[in-house]
Amino acid sequence: MSLYILPLLFLFIFVYSHFKKVSTYDTFIQGAKKSIPLVIDIFPYIAAIMIAVALLRSSGITALLAQWSSPVFNFLGIPSQLIELVLLRPFTGSGSYALLSDVLALYGPDSYISRCACVILGCSETIFYVTTIYMSQTKVKKLLYAIPVALICSTIGSILACLLCRIM
Amino acid sequence: MIVFSLCFLLVSSPESVLSQMLSASSQALALSAELCGVYVVWLGILELVEASGLSQKLAKLLHPVIKKIFNLKDQQTEELIAMNISANMLGLGNASTPLAIKAMKRMDSGSPVASPAMIMLIVINASSIQLLPTTVIGLRQAAGSTCAADIILPTLITTICTTLLAIVLGKLCQKIFKRRFK
Repeated sequence: MSLYILPLLFLFIFVYSHFKKVSTYDTFIQGAKKSIPLVIDIFPYIAAIMIAVALLRSSGITALLAQWSSPVFNFLGIPSQLIELVLLRPFTGSGSYALLSDVLALYGPDSYISRCACVILGCSETIFYVTTIYMSQTKVKKLLYAIPVALICSTIGSILACLLCRIM
Repeated sequence: MIVFSLCFLLVSSPESVLSQMLSASSQALALSAELCGVYVVWLGILELVEASGLSQKLAKLLHPVIKKIFNLKDQQTEELIAMNISANMLGLGNASTPLAIKAMKRMDSGSPVASPAMIMLIVINASSIQLLPTTVIGLRQAAGSTCAADIILPTLITTICTTLLAIVLGKLCQKIFKRRFK
């Protein structure tokens, strides 16, 4: 079924836009134009994160970290190969995409670990970044329970993601 | 983080530092090129979604639900929130952020403590109700997956569960905090 979702959706969007008298070609071009500035914007962040992660990895710190925390992650059912991804996700969006492409290349895109990584990224958000931006124009200083609730939800999301990937 | 690893490497293998950094940065360039291809397709399609009025339609559908969850008196803020959440559902991240900032500004009463509705907006956005994980699918396809879209269903189930959980937990904490301050 998943196979048909995207083609059908695309078909629907194009046909619907046509009926609404939107010029599909020009509009598509307008959107596609935004991709290059966007990539130029995020490239330095991706590069910085990838360099930092490469250094961390080759220094052996992540291996140690993974070793120490693997009982916790095992208990939660999250593969210990995804520790970096899960820990970094709330802070940086482009950085977690860098880690995802790493995981995809290392374990193969159709492996269990890669599928877990994809679902975890798909259902989570850069909590700290989003919160800072959203509150940037207000006078609010105290967020009370907002961050803890968001972090609990995304942790449970990661656990559920790994569980679902095992059975689906 | 970087300082730590550099100190470690200084002891273990100082000769590999530069080569590691350079290979990482060229990997970053390759990833950016991949992402650029992904964005061309999705940003093009999403522009169509916006121009054809599909995103406004979704916002209208969401409005009654938003009314129940947020319990606001201000109609316009509710509309902004509905548009923010529908843009997020479609993966229109760039369109959703300014809407949320505007909504937050309207809800700001000048007090330093966030109101329950503000926290609810953060929590719902943080649990990310994405109907289509566009970038993830694109990257997976680029890595040579045989069925890149088969993560849609588990992602959808997970994201719905976490969003519901976020709403419930948010409401629960709201009640606990209310009691404590009264």
